[in-house]
Amino acid sequence: MPKASKGVLVECDPAIKAIILKIDQEKNEYIVEDLDDTHLMVKDSKVQALKAKLDEELKNAVSYPDEDDDSDRG
Amino acid sequence: MPPKRKATVSARGVGSAKRLASGTATPRSRSIGSSDEYTEDGEYGNGSEADGPPPAEERRRVSNIQKAVKAMSVENLKSRGKGPTKSKHEATASIGFSNLSYLDLKPDHEKRPLWVDAKTDKIILENFSPFASRAKDFLTTIAEPLSRPAYLHEYRLTSNSLYAAISVGLEAEDIVDTLDKFSKTPLPEETRNFIMNSSKAYGKLKKVLKNSKYYLETPENSILQELVQDAVISAHLVSSSKDIITEKAVKKGPAVIPGTREAAGLIQQVDRQNNAQSDGGPSGHANDAGAGKDDEMFLATLREEDDDEDEDQKHIHSVEILRDSASLERVIERCWEMGYPVLEEYDHENDEKNATLDINTTSKTRLRDYQETSLRKMFGNSRARSGMIVLPCGAGKTLVGVAAACTIKKGTLVLCTSSMSVVQWRQEFLKWSNIDPDDIAIFTAESKQKFSRSTGIIVSTYSMVTQTRSRSYDAQKMMDFMTEREWGLMILDEVHVVPASIFRKVTGQLYTHCKLGLTATLLREDDKISDLNLLVGPKLYEANWMELSQQGHIATVQCAEVWCPMTTEFYQEYLREKSRKRGLLYVMNPRKFQACQFLIDYHEKRGDKTIVFSDNVYALQSYAKKLKKFFIYGGTGQVERMRVLENFQHSEVVNTIFLSKIGDTSLDLPEATCLIQISSHYGSRRQEAQRLGRILRAKRRNDEGFNAFFYSLVSKDTQEMYYSAKRQAFLVDQGYAFKVISHLNGIENLPGLAYSTAAERRELLQDVMLQNEESWGVEQIQDDLFSGRSAHPKGKVTALAKKGPKRTAGMLSDLSGAQDMAYIEYNKSRNKELKVQTKHNPLFRKIERDREKRKAARLEQLKEVRSMR
Repeated sequence: MPKASKGVLVECDPAIKAIILKIDQEKNEYIVEDLDDTHLMVKDSKVQALKAKLDEELKNAVSYPDEDDDSDRG
Repeated sequence: MPPKRKATVSARGVGSAKRLASGTATPRSRSIGSSDEYTEDGEYGNGSEADGPPPAEERRRVSNIQKAVKAMSVENLKSRGKGPTKSKHEATASIGFSNLSYLDLKPDHEKRPLWVDAKTDKIILENFSPFASRAKDFLTTIAEPLSRPAYLHEYRLTSNSLYAAISVGLEAEDIVDTLDKFSKTPLPEETRNFIMNSSKAYGKLKKVLKNSKYYLETPENSILQELVQDAVISAHLVSSSKDIITEKAVKKGPAVIPGTREAAGLIQQVDRQNNAQSDGGPSGHANDAGAGKDDEMFLATLREEDDDEDEDQKHIHSVEILRDSASLERVIERCWEMGYPVLEEYDHENDEKNATLDINTTSKTRLRDYQETSLRKMFGNSRARSGMIVLPCGAGKTLVGVAAACTIKKGTLVLCTSSMSVVQWRQEFLKWSNIDPDDIAIFTAESKQKFSRSTGIIVSTYSMVTQTRSRSYDAQKMMDFMTEREWGLMILDEVHVVPASIFRKVTGQLYTHCKLGLTATLLREDDKISDLNLLVGPKLYEANWMELSQQGHIATVQCAEVWCPMTTEFYQEYLREKSRKRGLLYVMNPRKFQACQFLIDYHEKRGDKTIVFSDNVYALQSYAKKLKKFFIYGGTGQVERMRVLENFQHSEVVNTIFLSKIGDTSLDLPEATCLIQISSHYGSRRQEAQRLGRILRAKRRNDEGFNAFFYSLVSKDTQEMYYSAKRQAFLVDQGYAFKVISHLNGIENLPGLAYSTAAERRELLQDVMLQNEESWGVEQIQDDLFSGRSAHPKGKVTALAKKGPKRTAGMLSDLSGAQDMAYIEYNKSRNKELKVQTKHNPLFRKIERDREKRKAARLEQLKEVRSMR
């Protein structure tokens, strides 16, 4: 029997999609359907929560490497 | 960006802007759904990135995600409220805003090009001012250029730069006067004091090698008295000469540098100088300060004025130092500690002990303006000063070295980084000067020559000279030969790459009167550059890249940074990986691959010769094999290398080559006009500049409208963005502007685009994930000075010892070979296609010919027989 669930279409960069997929991996509670490279269907009720999570992830993802890496020694 | 980079604040501004972009990705990616209250990105992201969110906010958000939305909006309002003020504050801090309004403007300030900031010792130059060029010449002498984009230049007065200025013969009063002349405001008192104080200490003391004895020289008796009384110093002085020797200073005009215009007409020059002198007065305005356009004229004026004033009082006082390198270094170090830095000068014209070398530049040799200027700074008062000259790659550093040797005309040592450049240096010497080929010898692992006559030139590498392991008999004899004599000049090529310890060794072993360091990029990411000041000497001259490219001495380059989005699959893995493997993922990003393919295709169609740089060997090989291009890396054999390079230079077969780190320096490929960089050494500014240098000497640079291209491919949303911003800092300071390309037009329609299907990309990802640790990082080159010095010879030994016998399970038939298997090589390197056609021995060719003849004859016979029937 067909089942309908309400969702929001999210359009984003492939990179952001990768982050969303990573968030979703824990409990599979956000994504309804993975459509293509730049589109996702996300559960209607979870959109706000996802935004908050994403914001946090983004902060973590953009960590700056140690200064040691910059030295000229190969 | 943390303080590792001392350079400019304005460039730091650029950096942080970039970082922001890389950090928060594109705006599009952040606007999820359609909520309206989420529009704060910019300010919020900005603030928190700079100083982190307050812990209270953090806790609130973690504890209650549902409330977070509300909290966010409150925060949002707050940050909106204070947003503008905050960001403004930050901006002023990071751009280096300073308020100079407390200073009065001079009435004719519009004409004057300089702003002098007393607090930071920075000088801002308005490059569009009519007097900018003259002010610029002056500033390059007294201050360090920080950043030189098109309109506003930034310089900083440091004690080292003032020391350099004084070492070319300027006096503190002149600096203050001239600075005041060019400044829009009266010179701040602090700056005046700073210059006066620094100059009091700097440049008063000179180390001179006279008749193969080292002397400390100074015009001020009191300084020397103080030094002699110091326990440490007096221990290292020659005891018989404890008394201070006083003699009248010998004055002379500037040395004649062969190959300059001046050499042809010295008299004219003196005339001009006199004119300049009568025109310019110290209290005059900027516009009548010197008639000569050349800044050297300007300086000469200042100098001569000064000389006239106190000609009578000039005496030189000196003491002799013991002649071994330990006490020399100790004395110099102690003098620095006491606040009297020691200059090194060589009175080459009056040196009778060392045989004079018969060398002169050929009549065809003409020095370019900037080369001449740089040499004038070296030979200021007829003595040769030790120091460094900074010229961009391809601007004729070698010629400067040759000309310096021709001026000094004594035994010369040239040290370079690789045996390839040793050969190049020798050729350059033969090309630009009339030196007898017998007088110039090469000392490398392969060849150990000596010159036959009393003096000459030896070209060698740093590693040959400083080797500590046991040498071969020949090499040892050669070293003895070199250490036992006195050298007039030592030229240190690519001086920035050499660690201080090597220099100590070099200077300790070899007695040279004068040292000249040559480099394009006087910077390192570790703070080793300041050591060079002590060991080699101050920076004598630094060329302006933009000016040289406008004059056509180096090619004009369009720089671009191409942003390649990561694909979802790659980014997922990227997020998961914590180690250095991330590096491989962003280099192997299929979108980057496509961008690379597209650019190569585009430029090949235009007829450009392209070099693609990759530090990562795995990436290098997979790119090159997939795109069916030629490649060279550390593991490529010498014969293959030469074959590929020759074909790149002279034939249409090879238009694109992939090079690893080995191509960064000293590889001379004037045919290349386009450069693509796919992977690089983290945030190394030097590498970026050196790589750019590969196309600066493009042969076609003087064609009308010619541009060389420099692309840096960067994977978006990865660390690479951060590194890329860092790397560009040096070039941005030189005035290069990087254009950001976020989409290459028409890339989708490229026929045969690699990795265009998801399946192919997945396959690539799988392959990348299977790679082991070795292929993650960058290539380690052993014979290279940057990485090779610390190549742990000990580690190698233990590895060998551990090897021992190995036991494996297998069948006897394995030993026979391939076990009935047949192999075919897919994805093979195109390097192999470049086989030279082998010529057979004449004997075999004759046999071949005979066989052909016989065959033809038989056919003929057969035909006859048939026709008879």
